[in-house]
Amino acid sequence: MKNLDKKNSFKTPDGYFESFTERLLTKITNSGSAEREPNIPKEEGFIVPEAYFDDLHKNIKRKLNKKEAKVVQFRPLRKYYLVAASVAAIVLVLFGINWNTAQKVSFEDLANTDIETYFENNGLGLTTYEIAEVIPIDDLEIDDFIENRMDEENLIEYLNNNIDDFEQLNLDSDE
Amino acid sequence: MLTEETLVQQLKQPESQTRAFEVLVNTYKERLYWHIRRIVLNHDDADDVLQNTFIKVYKNIDGFKGDSKLFSWMYRIATNESLSFLKKKAKLIGVGDVELQQQLVGNLQTDVYFEGDVIQLRLQEAIATLPEKQKLIFNMKYFEELKYEEISEILDTTVGGLKASYHLAVKKIKVHLKID
Repeated sequence: MKNLDKKNSFKTPDGYFESFTERLLTKITNSGSAEREPNIPKEEGFIVPEAYFDDLHKNIKRKLNKKEAKVVQFRPLRKYYLVAASVAAIVLVLFGINWNTAQKVSFEDLANTDIETYFENNGLGLTTYEIAEVIPIDDLEIDDFIENRMDEENLIEYLNNNIDDFEQLNLDSDE
Repeated sequence: MLTEETLVQQLKQPESQTRAFEVLVNTYKERLYWHIRRIVLNHDDADDVLQNTFIKVYKNIDGFKGDSKLFSWMYRIATNESLSFLKKKAKLIGVGDVELQQQLVGNLQTDVYFEGDVIQLRLQEAIATLPEKQKLIFNMKYFEELKYEEISEILDTTVGGLKASYHLAVKKIKVHLKID
């Protein structure tokens, strides 16, 4: 045993140990990449125009100082006809109970605009149902609510455009 | 450096308001911009929302009672402004929220203010698939690096809830990036 030859008969390629660490790390990196969880990038790719932040305060100030354009509310008069009719009916009912012929001002003296102005400033205070209960609808004509009366031609055109099967209406039939 | 309390006091005083507002804008403009930009994605929209946010802060500063930090309050306004902006936009072009998100991400490819590569574009696609709140939480935690306590104050959600949402969001994004 004493004379046992200790000389290693195995050999390694040239530079094996010098490059071992590097090769090992490369292998770890590559072999692990398939199983590794994907990294979420920290950079998003968004950019801003040059000097955007420099001018921001100025832009906000300008916007802040800009006077807001006055909004003119569009008020179609049509709905006031109904209100006026309602008012007329209510006032007539009230006046009808204690009708005094000596009264100097009658309902006819009131202009529609006065009535509209009154309700604009004071509010009607009645629901649609309450108005419906007070106003007799038998005396109302369609012309009380709409400005332009529909003629037959317009009606036919409307129905033609809006009814699926226009022919089925049998408009020309005498039945 | 002004303390937050001093800044708020100055914003409420007419004589110091203008100067204090400039300080406020300069202090928070970038943080709020990026917060908004991550929600609306497009620069011009982000600019609009950011300006409106500051204008709202300016006009409502008297209503700020100091129950939360000024920073949290402003973040909350910015978040609400951004979300309502997107809702209005969706309504205007007649699409749903999900469809709008897809459109916004799709627009990034031709956006001159987006220089992201394929991975970054894919990341935006992944974020767009998240529910609204998860998206906010993910952005605030991952990119803006806010603390859970801060996010909790801004979004009025418990820290536990935030952690769960963030965890879910990260998981979904990783799955999305892996699948694609």
